[in-house]
Amino acid sequence: MARKRKGAQSPPKTPQKARPQEAHAKLKRPLRKPVPRTPAWVPALATVGAIALLVVVFLAIRYFNTPPAPPPADTTQTAQVLSTITSLPDSEFQQVGAGSSTNRITPVTGTALTGPGGKPLVFYYGAEYCPYCAAERWALIIALSRFGGFSGLTTTTSSSSDVYANTPTFTFHGATYSSQYIEFQAVETTDRNQKALETPTAAQRALVSRYDTGGSIPFVDFGNRYAFNGATYLPDSLQGLTWEQIATDLQNPISPQAQGILGSANLITAAICKLTADQPAAGCSGAAIKSIEAHL
Amino acid sequence: MAGRDRVVGALIAAIGLAGLAVSVYLTFVHYSAAPLVCSTSGAINCERVLTSGFAVIGGSTLPTSAAGIIWFIVSAALAVAQLAGRASPLLVRAQLAWSAVGLATVVGLVFIEIVMLGAVCLWCTVAHTLVVITFLLVITVGQPAAEDG
Repeated sequence: MARKRKGAQSPPKTPQKARPQEAHAKLKRPLRKPVPRTPAWVPALATVGAIALLVVVFLAIRYFNTPPAPPPADTTQTAQVLSTITSLPDSEFQQVGAGSSTNRITPVTGTALTGPGGKPLVFYYGAEYCPYCAAERWALIIALSRFGGFSGLTTTTSSSSDVYANTPTFTFHGATYSSQYIEFQAVETTDRNQKALETPTAAQRALVSRYDTGGSIPFVDFGNRYAFNGATYLPDSLQGLTWEQIATDLQNPISPQAQGILGSANLITAAICKLTADQPAAGCSGAAIKSIEAHL
Repeated sequence: MAGRDRVVGALIAAIGLAGLAVSVYLTFVHYSAAPLVCSTSGAINCERVLTSGFAVIGGSTLPTSAAGIIWFIVSAALAVAQLAGRASPLLVRAQLAWSAVGLATVVGLVFIEIVMLGAVCLWCTVAHTLVVITFLLVITVGQPAAEDG
């Protein structure tokens, strides 16, 4: 407004005033060195690089925190460990009860499953690489040993590249089981490096297809009356321990290992007692087993 | 709004819808206990991740995927708002901030998967990748063009 008024009062002066300003501006423009703008792809590339670096760092942290595989147990050590875990006092089982285990055992329907000897059949389907199978085998061995006995069990560890790497355990591959109450069949489909080990029969495949619809392992069928898949406790309490250390820990009922393994063993024992009409009384008459049986 | 910005906005909105679908599926599986279509062994193990204590928000029963639902809805809504001609520096900054929050959350979740659990959930990784792509789109194409406009 002020400019217009000035211009109206003295029109000839206005263009004379504007011209030097424009000329000055024109002169100034080339003198300003344009600041180069960061190309749009630079921050994106930096972001992708930073994410990749973080992932590598995370993997390195994981690698250096993964417990190494325990040194393999020899025959004498294996026998000692098995002797310890299959002769735990009944009072300890009563004290632990279900412990920290999760009852995944559910009733199923179908023709009663029996073994070649006509006794109720317990069927296990798993693999040596599988950490959940590794955890569950401790409980299965302890529970089944209350109805009979194993021979030929050997030690192994779960895969070193899976979750809960190198979990110490035993394998059913090459082992035999005998009992006057039940029969037991096990299929370990692959070894700890996921190489083929055992092939299920057509009948065993049919059981897995029918009752393990989620495809999770381990899968255990109790005479087609009860079944579960997955682990009834997590393998984390076994991480970094040797077989001997676990066997020692199992003698302490309040240890995380006893709470998980013996709690799961009690669940499995209760399911088997249902199959055997609570025989033998020594294994099936305890209050802890009766209590679990009531909830199955 | 420039043509390039419209394409980016449409892409971010589409990614939001895709991420929403993944998050809704994971939330449905959480509440229905339906079996998840995913590997349960090896390093890719959705079951291991989604049954861990980290799969719920702050010890509640609310699955982490529910937060994903909210994130993808907001991200898509911000993109649609810009597509609808409401582009403003404030909206652009909001989208940048929102995608940065998403990226930071993804880094935290990947840390949990790799370091704490030693397993990766494939479905979660799909959602994480969608968040990262959204962030990259916002900082590379969307942001400078919107500021220019």
